[in-house]
Amino acid sequence: MFTRSRLIVVAVCLLALGAVLANAPLVSSQGLTITAAAIEGDLPLDAPDSALWQQATAVEVPMSAQMIARPIMPETNAKAITVRALHNNAEIAFLLEWQDATRNDSTLSVDAFRDSVAIQFPLIDGQPFYCMGQQGGDVNIWHWKADWQAALIAQRSLQDIYPNIYVDQYPFADPAVETEGDIYLAAYTDLDYLTAEAVGNLLALPVHLSPVEDIVAGGFGTLTSQSLEGQNVQGYGEWSDGVWRVIFSRSLTSAEAEDVSLAPEKLYSVAFAAWDGANQERNGAKSTSQWVSFQLAGAPGTGAAATTGAAAQAPLTARVAAIQPTGFNALFWGFIALLILIPLGIGVVMLYFHLGNKP
Amino acid sequence: MPDVYNWHLGRKMTYPYPEAHPTKQFAAVFNINRCIGCQTCTGSCKATWTFSRGQEYMWWNNVETKPYGSYPQHWDVKVLQLLDEAHQAAGVQPQWDHSQASEQAPYGVYNGLTLTEASGPNEQVLGYLPAESEWRSPNFYEDTSTGYKGGAYGLSPDGASLPEHQAWFFYLMRICNHCTYPACLAACPRKAIYKREEDGIVLIDQERCRGYRKCVEACPYKKSMYRGTTQVSEKCVGCYPRVEGADPLSDGVPMETRCMAVCPGKIRLNGLVDVAEDGSWVENPKHPLYFLVRMEQIALPLYPQFGTEPNIYYIPPRWAPRPYLRQMFGPGVDHAIERYTAPSRELLAVLQLFRTTQKMIFRYEIEEGPLVREAEINGKPWQMYDDTVIGFDAKDREIVRLSVVEPLHERPMERLNSI
Ligand code: SF4
Ligand code: SF4
Ligand code: SF4
Repeated sequence: MFTRSRLIVVAVCLLALGAVLANAPLVSSQGLTITAAAIEGDLPLDAPDSALWQQATAVEVPMSAQMIARPIMPETNAKAITVRALHNNAEIAFLLEWQDATRNDSTLSVDAFRDSVAIQFPLIDGQPFYCMGQQGGDVNIWHWKADWQAALIAQRSLQDIYPNIYVDQYPFADPAVETEGDIYLAAYTDLDYLTAEAVGNLLALPVHLSPVEDIVAGGFGTLTSQSLEGQNVQGYGEWSDGVWRVIFSRSLTSAEAEDVSLAPEKLYSVAFAAWDGANQERNGAKSTSQWVSFQLAGAPGTGAAATTGAAAQAPLTARVAAIQPTGFNALFWGFIALLILIPLGIGVVMLYFHLGNKP
Repeated sequence: MPDVYNWHLGRKMTYPYPEAHPTKQFAAVFNINRCIGCQTCTGSCKATWTFSRGQEYMWWNNVETKPYGSYPQHWDVKVLQLLDEAHQAAGVQPQWDHSQASEQAPYGVYNGLTLTEASGPNEQVLGYLPAESEWRSPNFYEDTSTGYKGGAYGLSPDGASLPEHQAWFFYLMRICNHCTYPACLAACPRKAIYKREEDGIVLIDQERCRGYRKCVEACPYKKSMYRGTTQVSEKCVGCYPRVEGADPLSDGVPMETRCMAVCPGKIRLNGLVDVAEDGSWVENPKHPLYFLVRMEQIALPLYPQFGTEPNIYYIPPRWAPRPYLRQMFGPGVDHAIERYTAPSRELLAVLQLFRTTQKMIFRYEIEEGPLVREAEINGKPWQMYDDTVIGFDAKDREIVRLSVVEPLHERPMERLNSI
């Protein structure tokens, strides 16, 4: 009889331990492989409804809040992202779908944040840290922004958020230039008065050619826009009924050192992140996946992996080592884990003997 | 997190970066007692820096009427409340121990949590992001006093008298404090904010900023502001071209900022103080800012308990309730008001220097003059001398000379009607 109770106790403790570990910052996406199906002809670059996407196997990639570097938002909204990929031997396209109850596609107001989503590729062999890479382990990030997308469809101005705005003039803005007298969209004759634009900050450009920003990073805080000429990722996104569907596309290869190049029948790693603007998610306050395997299918129509297995997956220990602890956080979480695990262990032993002693 | 020494609090505090100090620090003294609420300062900054698209709501300099006015609305009440909640959660009763006051801790030692200490594991700084509506109506509650509870129609039959008016308000003129330990800088995940080595001015790198608004959230004074049209945050730049002496008018020496130099109330005195390696102000008794802040201690930091070591110092208003003022300027309030009410001979002379030249004053001298008045203030005898104070610029050239008693000029008969 008591053997059974002891077993139950041990089982309960193991479950508790499991619960503690499940609370750990990451959900595992190990073992997932996304395969870009090969098709012939044009890719559906701006058609999330296209039947062509049915040729790709959808992979649901779990996501969880970034919990390593401050600022940390433990409750982010995107829990998973569904990924499909297609290629035609010249270009690659990804279709990303995730749930988001609200469309946030303007950052004009001081308290408005955008919805956005990103794909990340290592620029080295193997897997650098899955959150924005690490020193010596750069990553190439494609970041689609809902506000850039909206502006491509219709240029926004302050009048859109403040219909009753009235300004006599903005010195150095010339309403005659390009905007048919619209002072709120008028170009500046002297860029110094749009300081961020004057120093070449890509975000400050009044018009973007693509809703996707092509970025390189090598660790927290190092995110850097590629040069204007280096911006070569295209995109298209739509929101309806609580779901964003976003397409990213680019040529398979790129001559730029800051860009990933993709070849068939090789195993790559890819990771995803999403931000919900309504929840004020921005910067490190985001949902992120771990590295997922990714490959291009060899011949059109097969849709299956030519190479399989975890060949390109670095062992888990290597990954943990790759995480550069941000002193305080590593210590803090380590300490909390010890605080929980030590009494738990003592409790298990004590209960074991306590029950064992019962007649 | 490393520890840094905050002399306003008289103790070390946690901050995300190790201690490092500029060689000089941009600083100013604002005399609240003299402000007439004209907003000339506000307009001058607007006309210089924030007249462009996307900056409409920005007032890098603003003047709000305390206790009700605030821009963005309720900024200080909200930050105080956040701190209060953090103290309650931590079981800390924040207090100043004035008995431990010393050269390194002029206001004593504060045991409460600063904003970097109360932030918890997920953020660098305890803060909040003001809603868009809170930035509207920047001068709401202008000239609104607290209610008078006595006589009919809210009027006092006896008028108001010091030390504390029953119905009161005062102007609080605010710019970025170019803090020694900026909260905005601490919170920026991209390290896009930096403090200049040559003058301690805090700037946002317009190229690195990605408009995350963590600085807007973290700055307790809410002096970092987001510009939707460029998707990047901006803030008071301390008029750095003037401070550098790059303005054509400046003759190659540091000049006061726009908002300081225009002040008709003559309430502002702006300068650069020398900072030692340990962050303390290098002893310099003949520097007007050193004299006012460190020696006379009549000018005090705004909300020192936030822990950013702000560099704009205020001479508190003589007529407002002391608990309110102590909450706002720390425990030095009573001493400051006492000294200001019956100024020493030297202090009276130095107070004449405010807003008399566009150039920054790096040194003053006093030439003694005759006794012109004797009076009794707060039961103690007080003398006034017609001394002359002389100010010198960065190159030690005389730039201003003033007597305590303003000279009287009588207009000759033939010009009686001329303007
Ligand atoms: S007042 Fe605010 S914006 Fe200015 S330096 Fe201090 S924390 Fe930064
Ligand atoms: S110092 Fe210059 S930039 Fe700052 S508030 Fe004053 S005028 Fe504006
Ligand atoms: S210009 Fe001077 S007197 Fe006028 S509101 Fe500003 S600080 Fe006060």
